[in-house]
Amino acid sequence: MQHAGHRSRPTRRSVVVALGALTVAGAAGCSAPGPAASDAAAADATPTTVSTSVGSQPVALRLYDGQGLKAVDDALIAAFTKKHPTVTITPTYDPDNVTTQNQPRQLASATPPDLVRVISVTAGTKNNLLTNLDAYATAYGWDKLPASQLAQFRAKDGVAGSGSLYAKASGFTMTGLYYNKKLAQQVGMTAPPRTVDELAGYMDRAKAAGLTGMVVANKEGGGVFPFQLLVNSAMGPENVSKWVFNAPGATINTPEAVAAAKTVQGWNSAGLFPASVNALDATAADALFASGKGLFFPWGNWDAANLDKTMPGQVGFFPMPPATAGGQVAAMSDAATAFGIPSKSENKDAAAAFLDFLSSDEARQIAVDNGFMPSGLSSQTAPTIKSGSVLGDVTKAFGEVSAAGGQVPFVQNATAGISNRAWTPESQLLFEGSSTPEQFLTSVQTKYDEELKR
Amino acid sequence: MTGVGVLSRADLGVRSRARWAGWLFALPALVMYAVFELYPIITAVQYSFFDWDGINVSKPVGLANYTRVFTEPQLLASIVHSFILIIFFTFLPVLLGLVVASIVREIRSKWAGGAARTLMFLPQIIPGAASAIAWTWMYSPGGAVNQLLRALGLDALTRAWLGDFTWALPAVGIIGTWLATGLCTLLLMAGIGKIDGSLYEAASLDGANRYHQFRAITLPGLRQEIGVCVTITIIAALASFDVVFMSTQGGPGYSTQVPGVQVYQLAFTENRIGQSSALAVVLSLIVLAVILPIQRLFREK
Repeated sequence: MQHAGHRSRPTRRSVVVALGALTVAGAAGCSAPGPAASDAAAADATPTTVSTSVGSQPVALRLYDGQGLKAVDDALIAAFTKKHPTVTITPTYDPDNVTTQNQPRQLASATPPDLVRVISVTAGTKNNLLTNLDAYATAYGWDKLPASQLAQFRAKDGVAGSGSLYAKASGFTMTGLYYNKKLAQQVGMTAPPRTVDELAGYMDRAKAAGLTGMVVANKEGGGVFPFQLLVNSAMGPENVSKWVFNAPGATINTPEAVAAAKTVQGWNSAGLFPASVNALDATAADALFASGKGLFFPWGNWDAANLDKTMPGQVGFFPMPPATAGGQVAAMSDAATAFGIPSKSENKDAAAAFLDFLSSDEARQIAVDNGFMPSGLSSQTAPTIKSGSVLGDVTKAFGEVSAAGGQVPFVQNATAGISNRAWTPESQLLFEGSSTPEQFLTSVQTKYDEELKR
Repeated sequence: MTGVGVLSRADLGVRSRARWAGWLFALPALVMYAVFELYPIITAVQYSFFDWDGINVSKPVGLANYTRVFTEPQLLASIVHSFILIIFFTFLPVLLGLVVASIVREIRSKWAGGAARTLMFLPQIIPGAASAIAWTWMYSPGGAVNQLLRALGLDALTRAWLGDFTWALPAVGIIGTWLATGLCTLLLMAGIGKIDGSLYEAASLDGANRYHQFRAITLPGLRQEIGVCVTITIIAALASFDVVFMSTQGGPGYSTQVPGVQVYQLAFTENRIGQSSALAVVLSLIVLAVILPIQRLFREK
């Protein structure tokens, strides 16, 4: 016993020596971590001579995306390679929650895939890791697409939103308000509300009938949804987009945003949200809405297939109404997958042909079949939607928002850490009543500036 | 340096040769240790002096990452949380372990002892992440905990435990208690088995009641085992990650944020490898600063 006790105990000297060694190793620093400064911009990031032909030689492309997009990507690949038999595409899918972490590593790899899910255009352009697609856009005529469908994938001088094109979407997401048709009838809602006040009126009536006015789940930050739906319209899509794209001097701490936060906080304290809003996750929210006790559900297209299954024919969808009737309609709507071409790819022409294919009629139908909004021109053939599916309402709302130039990226994607480190905890404090709307937005803006080192 | 006797020169020669042979046997393990423990520690210390996103060119920033660690307001709170978790990860499990071990010793039935050991140890073989998910369900507004409270007529106490600013941290702590109690019980039962039974007999003949026996025989006899339990569980509390990450991610607000989760978020969601490394180094130093005095305290006199 005695002996063992002595042997296992680190002596003070050994600890000091070990710590000393670590400090020396760290401070003296063998070589700095990361690549040397010189080998960053080796590959051709801005091709000028491009071809719209995939060529006659066999081409093997590799594609990288998140697991959640597997169904739509597989269908797109099958359709594309059928059209171009010389091209093969081998997809790799990562679990969705790690694509954010792995995507920069995929881009930076010495032999990157030819088609990569682009999460941050600015991160990709900062080190010339992404191919500038301007030459392809001209060659293929992508410039004719609605501007709001491409703006998110443009960047100039490290700021997204405008400039050169770096990615193209396989389809879009769409957000707004699902509603329970039966309960809507019960509270006297015959048509989607045209103003926020009208919306709040229906929620009050739902509350009086013992129902949940709006099914909000804020354990993982779902409470930011109703807030942003209000802000999109109040601040204007352009200003919110600028903030998400880290435009110089952009701020979310505006009087309009404070007012929106005040509204959402008020709705919660008036009991229009579920009682334990901060403990509910997305699954619990789904269950609550499916139980038929919630009137509105601020969520997105990704839930449409699920709602068709759990509540067939009982659900409708409309875009968030503006503060005053006829005002700006807007919604968070970003790419299903924005595909970009790493600058180190050796098969850029074939990869670009795939990007072009993403807005073809065939690809649009695939997007809709998988619950996404189709990219492309409104003059193209409208994809067919299964009758009775709520996706019909969602697609209609997307058309309305897209036409109004109201596509806005999610505020939670403004920086890599802003969702975890600011929006989720700060919105929980706001809902709890532990912080004021002013504190809420000041904190978020502070974290934003911190992360961007402003 | 107590207890080391005076050695002759010849003794030293033999011992040093034997010592080198020993190193040889330890070599494979040492290589693994160096590659998978020492090297990452050294690189973490190195990274902590850089501003680096893990991929691109890094920029040396001196002590800036460390300055931030001590000026970021949420950080102090998260360190305080990890110290509060010690109550749940260490004090409660050791206390429960002592009670169970003493009771099982009294029963002296092989069957009961085996059953108790197995039952108490079960949580230990379930991964922390998995049990955190199971507990998340039990803590949910309609979960087992609230059902039990309602069944007892305590409707007023029901709440969404993990979404409650006051109760989320204790609720997370209880998961840790559940996890650690098995290990502590097992260690303490093994230790209690080594205590000479005649000591208890003699004490009871002298008229010592159960409490006196516990204080005078069991506790001193278990000194080393308690030391091990306390050390392991305090490290688990201070460096806690899996339970918090899977159950609350640090929320609601920042009420269950702990340094372990922040290290992860900084490195893997924000790509701030340098800042994350600096926090990890500080966390390691805090753990050492707490553990070393405790080691001294529990060392046998």
